[in-house]
Amino acid sequence: MSADNTDVIQGTLDMLILQTVSLEPMHGFGIARRVEQVSRGVFKVNPGSLLTALQRLERAGWLDSEWRQTENARRARFYTLTRAGKKQLETEKAGWTRRASAIARLLRAEG
Amino acid sequence: MSFWRQLTFGLRSLARRKARDRDVADEVEQYFQNAAAERMARGLTPEEARRAARAEMGDAAAARDQARVYGWENTVSALFSDLRFAARQLTRHPAFTAAAVLTLALGIGANTAIFTVVESVLLAPLPYRDSGSILVLNTRWTDSGHTAPRVTGPDGADLRNQSHSFAAMSLYSGGNEGVELRNHSVYTIAAGVDENFARVFSLKPIAGRLFVDGEAHHAALVSEMFARDNFGGAQAAVGQTIHIEGEALAIVGVLPDAFDFPNHAQVWEAAPLSPESKSRTAFNYKAVARLRTGVALATAQAEVNGISRRLANAYPAENHGKRLMLEPLQEAITGNARPTLLLLWATAGLILLIACVNVTHLELVRSLERQREIAIRKALGSSRWQVMQPVLLESILIAMLGGAAGVLLAFPVIRVLVAMAPPGLPRASEIHLNVQVLAFTLGIAIATALAASLLPALRAAKVDPAEALKHNTARGISRQGAAALRDALVIAEVTAAFVLALGAGLLLHTMGNLMTRSMGYETTRMLVADADAPAHSAEDESRVVRQFNELFIDLAALPGVEHVAGIMGLPTGSYGSNGYYQIRGGLPPDPRHAASANFSVSSPGYFQTMGIPLQRGRDFSAEDTFTSPFVAVISESLARQSFGGADPVGKQIQCGLDSDQWMTVIGVAGDVRQNSPAEAPGPTLYMPMTQHPFYANQIHIVLRTRVAPLTLMNAVQRNILAVNPLIALHFTTMDTMVNRSMSSERFRAALLSCFAAVGLLLAMLGVYGTMAYSVAQRTFEIGLRVAFGAHRGAILRGVLGHAAKLACCGVAAGLLLGLAAARLVASMLVDVRPMDPISVAAAACLLLFTALAAAFVPGWRATRVDPMIALRME
Repeated sequence: MSADNTDVIQGTLDMLILQTVSLEPMHGFGIARRVEQVSRGVFKVNPGSLLTALQRLERAGWLDSEWRQTENARRARFYTLTRAGKKQLETEKAGWTRRASAIARLLRAEG
Repeated sequence: MSFWRQLTFGLRSLARRKARDRDVADEVEQYFQNAAAERMARGLTPEEARRAARAEMGDAAAARDQARVYGWENTVSALFSDLRFAARQLTRHPAFTAAAVLTLALGIGANTAIFTVVESVLLAPLPYRDSGSILVLNTRWTDSGHTAPRVTGPDGADLRNQSHSFAAMSLYSGGNEGVELRNHSVYTIAAGVDENFARVFSLKPIAGRLFVDGEAHHAALVSEMFARDNFGGAQAAVGQTIHIEGEALAIVGVLPDAFDFPNHAQVWEAAPLSPESKSRTAFNYKAVARLRTGVALATAQAEVNGISRRLANAYPAENHGKRLMLEPLQEAITGNARPTLLLLWATAGLILLIACVNVTHLELVRSLERQREIAIRKALGSSRWQVMQPVLLESILIAMLGGAAGVLLAFPVIRVLVAMAPPGLPRASEIHLNVQVLAFTLGIAIATALAASLLPALRAAKVDPAEALKHNTARGISRQGAAALRDALVIAEVTAAFVLALGAGLLLHTMGNLMTRSMGYETTRMLVADADAPAHSAEDESRVVRQFNELFIDLAALPGVEHVAGIMGLPTGSYGSNGYYQIRGGLPPDPRHAASANFSVSSPGYFQTMGIPLQRGRDFSAEDTFTSPFVAVISESLARQSFGGADPVGKQIQCGLDSDQWMTVIGVAGDVRQNSPAEAPGPTLYMPMTQHPFYANQIHIVLRTRVAPLTLMNAVQRNILAVNPLIALHFTTMDTMVNRSMSSERFRAALLSCFAAVGLLLAMLGVYGTMAYSVAQRTFEIGLRVAFGAHRGAILRGVLGHAAKLACCGVAAGLLLGLAAARLVASMLVDVRPMDPISVAAAACLLLFTALAAAFVPGWRATRVDPMIALRME
């Protein structure tokens, strides 16, 4: 893995989106920006993948969306976490934590 | 929940395609604007901000495309647009489309129609409750292997009392009867059934009630139709009295119209549970039974076998070698129709095969035409599937169109089939198109489409672009394989058509044999009246015989009538009897096969009226009365069977028809075919009406006329009703009766001929198509030959020779296939061998002629090729 790889780890994009939206309703660019800022630029989200993932999550019933005004008076599509989405986020977080700590243990054992 | 959202979101975006696209575009647009706005907030100029955003996030259009293709509905709509493209392609080639759709419609229509009949008659369950567990009882003689769908009264009763496998078992008997109402008589089908009959069929009357055993000979059930026709309604019929054979029966209940077992019965007379016939050699009953729930047919049969063995031990004289066999009612009812229907199904299958080959051929020609297009697409990097997909889609479209047209075609064909069906075809009234049939049609349509397009599609996928682009079919440079494949298809087609034509030829030849076969009696100018005179007692019966004898004299005096006689047991007629007989003074009897014969009861003058030659002795006369010595006339084959070469006149004969008196043989008459022209002439024993009055009240009156027989109908009817207005009458002619006795043979021959005609037409189209295509392809080459001085005759000969060669190959293959298939029809042939040389030659000539005729037009066109134009083409 090269140092400048900013791809989101495979299979974690959904969890990152759900986590980001769980704080407050947000539009697509806002989500991308938040993921980038919070990860300190480690992850960058490509808009095509992000918008596709948002559609998928909405159809899965984990997000709802509506067009609203942004703070700088533009119209944007805002995504809100649903009750089912909250549950899904908990599941994914638990799964991720379990796997990440397992990897960490393995790496420690190697070292 | 999520599935529901998937569905609704997908459908919404499918329905409002543009709105969805705009939505996605708006969101992407807004995303990039936000990104730019953020950068401008950091102090970049709008132009710099946009450029920076694009450098980081890529092109907005690419993001839009990526987001837009999400969702299952996009696959669907891609398929729709491919189908739209295929449809446009088809409309651009109307000749190809029309030919393929019509060909498929013929093949699928024929199959749908035949399958409708097969499904309704053979496959659909009978319309009785839990009909699968209803069985009939047959008697089987283990030494001869003969099986009869009848049982004797005591055997049936013993089985019913000793077995445990059945929920109910019923004995019944019956046939056509005159039913006497208060003021007139009607002729209908009545059955005598016991109390258990209603239990076997789970019958529920729509009015009144069922009868109980104590009401035997006093109660009856009638059908809804009978009640409506004669009493005005079901309720009105209950409590009315009808008479059958002299017994007064109270109608206690009315059964729904849907029920007409056995044999379209309208009246069910109560018969006692304990059978009246006590003889174990008189097969007077039929039996039906309902299996107890959970009992398997094999288990029940094992139990019945045990009981059969016990009976054989208890009554060795009568029951030796006799075994009772169970058979599902559905098989018993439809068994006779099975071979005919399966034959028709097989021929319909051949038609479909020919249609399929034709469409394959059309597709192949089309795929050759677009070979260059396919090569270009492959050269540009299309995958195998992408090249095959348009071909497959087109043929599925064609199959759908052809299937729809086929179903439309099937409606009138089914109506014609039902109208043509022989009266013996069981369940004819139940024949209709239904969901199963439509599913079957859809199935064969798709299977046909795939079969017909697979070969061309695979060839298309295999095309090597470099090779294909080099070839130029219009210059006569084409690949060898394609022509060989087309030839093989034509041969296959000719083979199938030849088999059909051969089958039709065999059945037509049989039909011709039957039509010209001598029945042993005259059939033209014969008026026949079914006369059923009610008789309630022995005195009544004698009175009826006297009345009939006077009537014959009156009728003979009518202008236009030559001879008149009465008979019970008229050939092809509805009454009749048969059974064993014994003789004295002839050949020793065969201990294993008791001699049997048809029994007929006739009036004096019967042989003269029917034109049956009296070879020895004399006819019955007015002097043979009930009190004079009993006499009989025997047929030639009975004489041969039991008396060998000796003169039977004066010998003694006895049968169990109604008395065991010994009769003196007074004459020998010529043989007749009793039931149909397909049957061999058999032994018949004739007895005078005066000596067997019990069998003389249900007779056929036969009149030999000088004029068209039916013109005398009114006069004859007036005369008969003047003598006894209670006689139930039905008129027909001998020709009609004999004709009707051949209806199964005619039905088969007519249908197979129609199929063969359709097959020939399709094969002709196939040959024409191939020849026309190859001539068109070779225009350049032919032009070149003509330019070098080739004779036009030689060119025509070349085209015709090619067609003849293909047809000969097809005929040869068809002969091999025919040899195998002829066994299917062997049992349906009369005086015709399965490889009848006349039929084989006729079918071969027909096919050759058809192929040459089909090739002639393209051949002639080839001779018209102008070298100047041909060589300058392109």
